[in-house]
Amino acid sequence: MRLLLQLALILSVCFIGDFLHRVCGIPLPGNILAMLILFLLLCTKIVKVDQIAEMSDFFLKRLPFFFLPPTIGILAVYGVLKGNLILFFLLSVLATIVTLAVTGKVTDILVNIQEKGKKDA
Amino acid sequence: MREVLNTPFFGIVLTIVAYEVGVACSRKFKLSICNPMMIAAVLIIGFLLISGIELETYNLGGDYIAIFLGPATAVLAVPLYKQLDQLKAHLVPILIGILVGTLTSFAIVMLCAGIFQIEEVLKFSLLPKSITIPMGVELSKSIGGIPAITIASIVITGITGGVVAPIICRVCKIKHPVAQGIAVGTASHAVGTAKALEMGETQGAMSSLAIGVTGVVTSVITPILLHLLAG
Repeated sequence: MRLLLQLALILSVCFIGDFLHRVCGIPLPGNILAMLILFLLLCTKIVKVDQIAEMSDFFLKRLPFFFLPPTIGILAVYGVLKGNLILFFLLSVLATIVTLAVTGKVTDILVNIQEKGKKDA
Repeated sequence: MREVLNTPFFGIVLTIVAYEVGVACSRKFKLSICNPMMIAAVLIIGFLLISGIELETYNLGGDYIAIFLGPATAVLAVPLYKQLDQLKAHLVPILIGILVGTLTSFAIVMLCAGIFQIEEVLKFSLLPKSITIPMGVELSKSIGGIPAITIASIVITGITGGVVAPIICRVCKIKHPVAQGIAVGTASHAVGTAKALEMGETQGAMSSLAIGVTGVVTSVITPILLHLLAG
């Protein structure tokens, strides 16, 4: 499909996601609903991956770029945190490292147990 | 003179240039510390602080870019769909992993808050740190946190996840691509997922899945756990 049409298709899904969140009051963010809807559209083959291949590639390849503006927004919190700034920063970093390690290790062990079980069976 | 900058083009160009510098650095040095997003964020924040340009002026352009967070998040459905078989095959470990991760994040924040005697409001603002911004803001409001602080901790969490993910996977010997992806997505939402996509398609897909599930699980269990602990 032509690029602008691909974009229009993806944005339409976002539109529906926003609609479900804001008008119908579904307590999930529009972005997450849009991901869910697009996933269902792909699973039901109503939309095929080829039809949005270039545009989804465009977004996926530079995903962090789109998160930069909210990131720069942390400038606004500087005044609110005052003396707690360093503690706040260290705590955020530490908790992330621990969460990542524990989640990964537990999932890794479980996946391996499951795969081993299947091989033995 | 400052009026020259009162146009969306300033923020847009600054963001693109900073991002491309970040990408160029990370290609050149190939270290996970050289995360393009972290470099870009430091450059932009540094530039605004040194020049004294207001955040509002930057946001004239930044807001246009932020609109595209919607489609950028939506298309995470594509890698997820392509890895549907992996998802089906490992559904139970995936869900348990995400639940354990959510509880770990809760426990570590509560524990550190106790040790360092952190104010209640700061603690409540930190609890939603591993979930995506719109969900985190809602949860923060409902448990008595300050949304601005929550957003800041979500952002720091995301960048940290992207930077440390490859190191932690190596050090802790987390080898299965499914486990790597779930770890990154559960700990560091969509910003970390950008790194997971670089690690591989399976990692990216699992991380995408974990964003949504972690968001829902965290939003549901955090108020319940706080209620139980208070009671």
